[in-house]
Amino acid sequence: MLLDGGLGSMLIAAGLPAGRAPEWWNLEHPERVASVHRAYVDAGSEIVHANSFGGNPVRLAATGLAGRCGEVNAAAAAIARAACAGRALVAGDVGPTGAMLPPVGSATVAELRAAYREQAAALADAGADLVSIETMSDLREALAALEAALATGLAVIASMTFAVRRRGCFTVMGDPLVPSLAALAAAGAVAVGCNCTVGPEEMAAMAREAAPALAAPLVAQPNAGLPRLTAEGASYAAEPEGFAASMASVVAAGARAVGGCCGTTPEFIGAMRAMLVARGA
Amino acid sequence: MTDRAELLAALHRAVLEGDEAVAHRLAAEALAGGVEPLEAIEHGLVPGVREAGRLWEEGEFFLPELVLAAQAMRAAMDVLQPALGGARAASPGRVVIGTVEGDIHDIGKTLVATMLAASGFTVSDEGAGVPAARFVARARELDADLVCASALLTTTMPRQRELVAALREAGLRARVMVGGAPVTRSWAEAIGADGFADNALAAVAVARGLVGRGATV
Repeated sequence: MLLDGGLGSMLIAAGLPAGRAPEWWNLEHPERVASVHRAYVDAGSEIVHANSFGGNPVRLAATGLAGRCGEVNAAAAAIARAACAGRALVAGDVGPTGAMLPPVGSATVAELRAAYREQAAALADAGADLVSIETMSDLREALAALEAALATGLAVIASMTFAVRRRGCFTVMGDPLVPSLAALAAAGAVAVGCNCTVGPEEMAAMAREAAPALAAPLVAQPNAGLPRLTAEGASYAAEPEGFAASMASVVAAGARAVGGCCGTTPEFIGAMRAMLVARGA
Repeated sequence: MTDRAELLAALHRAVLEGDEAVAHRLAAEALAGGVEPLEAIEHGLVPGVREAGRLWEEGEFFLPELVLAAQAMRAAMDVLQPALGGARAASPGRVVIGTVEGDIHDIGKTLVATMLAASGFTVSDEGAGVPAARFVARARELDADLVCASALLTTTMPRQRELVAALREAGLRARVMVGGAPVTRSWAEAIGADGFADNALAAVAVARGLVGRGATV
């Protein structure tokens, strides 16, 4: 399956001020959010992430949207549904709270689960077709989000973010690739995978390790390489065709769903679509 | 624990293993046993935290292990720092640290703050999402030697440039060190920062160099 690409970077390109949480635009500029969703659907995305990555109450409180979880997530799902117009599925996007569990921070699993329940319920009530948990660094937090999302009755994809270290692939908290994804699958995720931190080459290495070891389908959404900050803003190293060519390796390694994260655009999705079609997928 | 070398090795181990209670106890035992506090720090704690930093670089230690090691070092420093003789005389410098406006990421920043405090710096941790004006006000209030600003998003990195300019405009003497995952040395140089570090251990060494007084790590 073909997912979508980065949303935050697209919104910034459309004028979202640096440092402003993307969720604000669900309220202030829904048409610009819808425009990005439509571009991805036109490029071939079969699943589109609603603009709700930072939509849990903990993050919203830090971005000036305290107490508006229901409103922000309902708007996110509604905008995505209207933009997709039945041509693609809408995934309620659930990202990390930013609150850390011990020993790194003092949050509790119960607090995190409660925050995710509030967000997941809002997304489900507004008609999301599934929930996509992304960019998790702590397996305990990912499991809390998963539990909260499953309570809505929707299917849930769960992705974590890993880096390639000498001994293998780990999150910054030290959660290892395969055991973490296996735990998420065992806890009920319909598909599991990796997103962010790495580009397609390293993602292929992760796919080669994880796909054969898991029964659940693997989802892979790498970045368009590493970002460089220039006077004009952040730029990413990879180009769409090169990215798509590298993603062929990710698919060959066993990933069943692919998309892109930071720095990817509808062009990247279009190039991936062409690659998948050429592969007979 | 009668042997000095054994005690120092045990302190090293307590920091490496992130054992706060043991590190605290051993620091007290060291003082009671006549070990000079500076010796306990430099030959007990510092090797432990340096090894933790090395294991982090090698991908063997992750954030939890680093945080625990820093906490163990801090617990030991709570005992040893006062024994160094006068908090102000011993403190290598006053630091204001925070993550820039619009950015909520703070693990790395908090780790650096803990390491700086554990090394004896007087640290005012302003948290995350700190506007330049607050950095400046706090630096002025404390007559800070150093301001440390972290940014983890390419979209918030420009705030570091803004901060350097604001501090210069305010006429404050504080040096500026920047960090955060996307931050590079060339970015630090381009924006006129005085220093840059890409890990907490290096941050302490750079801080020591920038402030120019003897620190402990």
